[in-house]
Amino acid sequence: MKQQLTYTEASLPTIKQTKHSLYTKYGPLLLGYIKEVVKELNIAEQYLAEIFNELKEQDIEEILKPGAKPFLGLQQLARKKLSSFISILEYCTDRNDIEAKKSIAGNKFIDLMNREQQLVFCGIHYYGKTIATLATELNKSEHTVKGLLRESFIIIRKHRNDTAVH
Amino acid sequence: MIQQYINSGILEAYVTGSASEQEVQELLYMKANYPEVNIALKELENDMELIAQQMAITPPARTWDKISDSIDEIVLRQKNDPKKFEEQEDTNYTNFTKPDNGPHYIEVEAENNYMKVHKAWKWVLAAIFVLGKVFLAFAIYFYLENRQAKLQLNELKTELRQLKK
Repeated sequence: MKQQLTYTEASLPTIKQTKHSLYTKYGPLLLGYIKEVVKELNIAEQYLAEIFNELKEQDIEEILKPGAKPFLGLQQLARKKLSSFISILEYCTDRNDIEAKKSIAGNKFIDLMNREQQLVFCGIHYYGKTIATLATELNKSEHTVKGLLRESFIIIRKHRNDTAVH
Repeated sequence: MIQQYINSGILEAYVTGSASEQEVQELLYMKANYPEVNIALKELENDMELIAQQMAITPPARTWDKISDSIDEIVLRQKNDPKKFEEQEDTNYTNFTKPDNGPHYIEVEAENNYMKVHKAWKWVLAAIFVLGKVFLAFAIYFYLENRQAKLQLNELKTELRQLKK
C-alpha cells in the first residue's frame, strides 16, 4: 500500500517549488549515490523519485534549517530508504551475487582505501550501518571502527583535488 | 583535548549518520562551544558533497515528471473535499485504507489505470446484459411481425384492386 502523504493545502505549491529546487541542486548527486548502491540506473531513478515523493514538510524544514547542509539531510533519507534494499539483498542465496552487488566499484576514493577502510566506509556511507553494528560484524572495538572511518576521510581529503575520475 | 576529540572519528560518524544519539548530543554541544569542531565539521560536510559530486549522474527529465505528477495528484486530492465522499459512503463497503484518525483520503494509485467498484455491480451489469438481450429479441420479433402485416396489407390491396376491375 502506498504511503499516505499529508500536506496542508496552502503549503503544496511551496512544497513543489522547494522540492524542485532541492531536486535541481542535489538530484544528480543523490542519483549518483543511489546508483553506486543499487548498481542499476533505472532502479536508482525509482528510489530517487520515491525519496522526493515521500519528502514531507517536516523533512524539508529539517533539511533546510540554518547551518544544515541540505545534501547531507537528503543523503541521510536516501540511506534510510536504501537500507530496505540492502536487507532484501541479504536474503539472496547466491553469495557471489551478493558480494558483486554490495561492492562499490568505480569510485576513485574507495579504490585508494585498504580492505578494512573500504569495509567500514562503505558499510557506513553506502549501507547505513551504525558504528556499533560494524564493530560487531568486524569483531573490532567501536573506537577502532571510528578510527578506520576517519582514515577513510583522510584519504578522500588527500586526493580530493585530483581531477581524474575512474 | 579538542584536537583529540576531532581526531576520534566522531565527526565522521556524525556526518555519515552513524553516530549514536548520545554522541550526536555531545557533538552538537562541542560544535556550539568550540569553533575548531565547527570548522572540522564543515570541512567534512564539504568532503561528503565532494564524494557525491565525483559520482553525480544527471537524472532524466521523466524522473522529475513522476515527482511533479505525484505532487499534483495530492493537490487534486486536497481540492476534492474528502468529507463529501464520506457522506455518500455505502455502509456495506469497508474502506480498509481509511485511517482511524486525522484527515481521510481516497487512495489513488498514481500509475494504476484501474478503479475499484463494489461487488454488487457485477449483478447489476449481468442484469443490464440480460435485459438488453430480451429487448433485442422483442425488437426483432415486432419488426418481423410488422413486416409480415405490411406484406399482407399490400396483398389485400392488390386483391381489392383486381376485384374492382
